[in-house]
Amino acid sequence: MSRASHVPRFRVPRALAAPSVVFLLVFAAYPLVYLIGLAFTSSTLAQPLRRWTGFDNFHSALESQSFSGSLWRSVVFAVAAACVQLVLGTALALLLRARAARPGLLGTVLLLPLVTPPVMVGVAWKLLLAPVGGALNGALHEFGLPGVNPLGGSTGAFVTLIVIDSWQWTPFVMLLAYAALLGVPDELREAAALDGAGRVRTLRSVVLPYIEPTLLSVLTLKLVIGFKVFDIVYVVTAGGPGFSTTTSTYDIQRTALQEFDVGSAAAATVLFSLIIGLVVSVVALRRKRHEEVAV
Amino acid sequence: MSPLSRRQLLRATTGAAALTAAGPLLTACGTAQGDALDPTAKPDLDGVTLKILANQPNALSFHYLAGPFEEATGAKLKVTPVPYDKLTSKATLDVQSGAGQFDVFMYWYAAVGTLAQGGVIEDLTAYIRAHKDIEESDFLPSLYDTYTRWDGKRWGLPYDGDTHILFYNTELFERHKVEPPKTWDDYQHIAEKITKDAKGKYYGTIIEAQQVPVILGCDFANRLAGYGGTFLDQGGSGTPTLTSPEAIAAAQALFDAAPHALPSPLQIGFDQATPAFLDGKGAMLDFWTDFAKRAEDPKQSKVVGKWGVTTLPVGGDNTKPRTSLDAGFGLAVSTASKQKEAAAAFIKWATAAQQNLLVLGKPDAGADPIRTSTLNADAFKKASPDSYDVVRTGLAGDPLPWPTVPKSPQLLQGLVDELALGLQGKQSAKKALENTQRAWLTTLKKT
Repeated sequence: MSRASHVPRFRVPRALAAPSVVFLLVFAAYPLVYLIGLAFTSSTLAQPLRRWTGFDNFHSALESQSFSGSLWRSVVFAVAAACVQLVLGTALALLLRARAARPGLLGTVLLLPLVTPPVMVGVAWKLLLAPVGGALNGALHEFGLPGVNPLGGSTGAFVTLIVIDSWQWTPFVMLLAYAALLGVPDELREAAALDGAGRVRTLRSVVLPYIEPTLLSVLTLKLVIGFKVFDIVYVVTAGGPGFSTTTSTYDIQRTALQEFDVGSAAAATVLFSLIIGLVVSVVALRRKRHEEVAV
Repeated sequence: MSPLSRRQLLRATTGAAALTAAGPLLTACGTAQGDALDPTAKPDLDGVTLKILANQPNALSFHYLAGPFEEATGAKLKVTPVPYDKLTSKATLDVQSGAGQFDVFMYWYAAVGTLAQGGVIEDLTAYIRAHKDIEESDFLPSLYDTYTRWDGKRWGLPYDGDTHILFYNTELFERHKVEPPKTWDDYQHIAEKITKDAKGKYYGTIIEAQQVPVILGCDFANRLAGYGGTFLDQGGSGTPTLTSPEAIAAAQALFDAAPHALPSPLQIGFDQATPAFLDGKGAMLDFWTDFAKRAEDPKQSKVVGKWGVTTLPVGGDNTKPRTSLDAGFGLAVSTASKQKEAAAAFIKWATAAQQNLLVLGKPDAGADPIRTSTLNADAFKKASPDSYDVVRTGLAGDPLPWPTVPKSPQLLQGLVDELALGLQGKQSAKKALENTQRAWLTTLKKT
């Protein structure tokens, strides 16, 4: 092969791919390498990468009461919120589909929480639940009932965050589940009906298995979104009372931007990413197995 | 291995090495450090625009200074207000990222060591020495070193001498036949009595205990000061003293009062506490002195003419009223500024007695005295008739300084975390402070 013909064949495709490669290096690889670099060094906000510290930051992150506790809370929050929203969202989608109605105005109303900025969602709920002067307690007092303070106790505050997150994200699940339901062929339902299957049996044996891949994808997405929750924690509870609602994202932010210990925050981020990967991979494996069976 | 594989391996290795090396390199590129400050330069300020990063509650004070400063020098001010808890991170990122958007940083004094060690603010020692008209001796001795000194050098000049005083609702006090508290035991008794008698209509006190140093930290510091304790020995830069009897008594007093305060103290921050007091929902609130102006504003307050102030109570063996230097701000020159001499000239001008008096007279400037001459001035007395004596007692006395070492943000967050667990009922006052003491010793050892 002549040199003249060899050059264009290899260089042109590489040149065309170069922008993507550069983009990936700058926006994906570099931050990752830099993050790992920070995790293994003594780094503050003002002076990153000061000196190599080996695994010291990882040790101190794991020994830290707030971070180790936050890992569990993040897992519980993400899994609980994702499951609640998956069930509620699918139920709402089935309801809409059963009424053979397009979402229309109702759908728009249901989607409003999703398009509301999370900070505003947090502020609204905080005002609603304020123990003194809050709308909820105001209404209870009007009816002569005693006031409540769900954010005042550990369990109440944690459950409240799941409720708020579900209020915001259930419409998202509903939308995707509804789209999946539209894809279920009518012939399958008719065949099931001819075989004598009732509504519940059709739902359990035909509809849900058909849309399961979509639901598993939604579950994966919601798990990741749940792990990343920050805004509502920051606004509604600020991680409290005590550490009751301190999730890992909130704790990492606090370590990096309030205590300025960027090295420990980076190590915590790496550990947190591993936990997310572990949990999400369980769902991904199930989805893969489902695809293999389908093939 | 084929030649092609070797080439690929070589490229991959080179790429990885370049990427790893790029980290520190890019970091170094990102950090902006302008030319060194010339302490004796006499900058021409005409036409210059100085950009200031300011604490939100104090932002309006620069509005009042802008006119006179432009008249005197021809220079303009451009002010960016940020919340108090973002001042340090915003200033640090401005320098560290290389943006260099600001010439002057307003800083919380507890972060002076953090900012100085991080190379965010300029060393002003030589500048202050070269400018005798700064009149160092006029700065309040109770706060001058605390606000500006770290590692034997001066890094700024005081701008706002914040302290807490105790506000009380005179109407509720009269209704329940109680007198302003002199000791923390009196305070506890009053809080218990009013909360019990009011049966949920209002409460004996308001405790702000959100898990933030400038919120929960203040509540503890006020009691620590009253009991005669300290955070660190050697004037705020030595060894932690959090397991002292005074510190434990202070934490206990806080924990004891919480059940008799406006519900859920751990959820109460400034945005919940001040409206509650102004709405007559709480009988006592320890807060910053400039709150007096809001309490007298009928647009914001239902307690106009129905409130009083007193010094923070005392406790234990201490009988002398003592306040705590809660918050408090200085002005410093950014190391990333390209007009450091102009920035330093502004700081010198803005912290002079005349300018301090000017902002002290403005109700919305959020300013407090920083100089002996302004603390004693008739103009300040006229501007703050209700709180003058109490503020003067606090600042002229021996107030409690917060830690100013480079790790102080970490130390203070650790302290409020442990106190919050105590307020939640998960540990005793003694245990909370023993945990804090241990954590502080470890953190300071790492420094």
